[in-house]
Amino acid sequence: MLIGFTVMLIVKPQSTLISMIDAVNDALKLSFSLMALYAIWLGILNILEQTGFNKKLSVGLKPMIYFLFGRVSDTTAEYISMNIAANLLGMGNAATPMGIKAINSMDDGTGIATDAMIMLFVINASSIQILPTTIISLRTAMNSTNPSDIILPTIITSFISTLSAVLLVKLILKIKNRRKKV
Amino acid sequence: MTDYIIPIIFLIIFLIVTFKKVPAYDYFTDGAKGAITLGVGIFPYIAAIMIMVNLLRISGVTDFAAKILTPVFAFLGIPSELAEITLLRPFSGSGSLALLNDLMTKNGADSYVTRCACVIMGSSETVFYVAGVYFASGKVKKLRFAVPVALISALISVIVGCFLVRFL
Repeated sequence: MLIGFTVMLIVKPQSTLISMIDAVNDALKLSFSLMALYAIWLGILNILEQTGFNKKLSVGLKPMIYFLFGRVSDTTAEYISMNIAANLLGMGNAATPMGIKAINSMDDGTGIATDAMIMLFVINASSIQILPTTIISLRTAMNSTNPSDIILPTIITSFISTLSAVLLVKLILKIKNRRKKV
Repeated sequence: MTDYIIPIIFLIIFLIVTFKKVPAYDYFTDGAKGAITLGVGIFPYIAAIMIMVNLLRISGVTDFAAKILTPVFAFLGIPSELAEITLLRPFSGSGSLALLNDLMTKNGADSYVTRCACVIMGSSETVFYVAGVYFASGKVKKLRFAVPVALISALISVIVGCFLVRFL
């Protein structure tokens, strides 16, 4: 932010405030559309919770969750399994509120991200989307001869980048634990 | 295919709910209530991130950084046209989508550069935005190594993507 301000001062002082207001305007619009989105998914999520569906889902995914995230509480495991399931189905916007709930349920009040939080964030930030629909429709609009020929490389790349993120987190944690012991 | 996933899931959920005779309406409204607090909670963080991104873009810092990093990217097998989108992708989803649009108009929808850019867009996320949304609501301030790891994995996806598009 500091760099941004300094350069703005030199290059375009007159448009600094305008561009800031523009940005907050966008942020406000985004927050509103996110609220609409969250209302739907949190509503559905609550139904699933109350009917015990996500307990069933998390039982199936438990071995994987314990391996990736370590020992987490049952509630957290349920939110994480919902988050990952939504991601795999390509419903990225449904995954977000569930991921936030998972992070909140892991919050210990210290303000420092736990290992499991970092793992969840890294998985979500490296994207496990299967069908890049926006991009395919953009290519179709641009008269591509084969708009969907990017799907295969995209899936492989997503997989490799998510895997590398997970391994990197595991590696960093291992090095830190070893240092603690010595 | 994906068009059907969401309606089908909703249908299954509501079938189960009707079958089990639970007060689904109350459950839904209870859950949906939380959306407002969540949206209000993340707004200030989204605003701050967007201000930063906008200032960096308009002031030309990203263009400059792209120029400096071009040789590094060339070494990693990333074409020079893709330097800017690589840098902008973690910051701004709409900004990088606009860049992708530019690339397509300039190079055609089926060129190597465009297809690389498509793979980059599809296989990575807006890292800073995700960080803001995920950690803001929990009041988590110290993220430790979370963002660097996410950025490294984004860079890996660019390198792998550019490499794979040559063959696939």
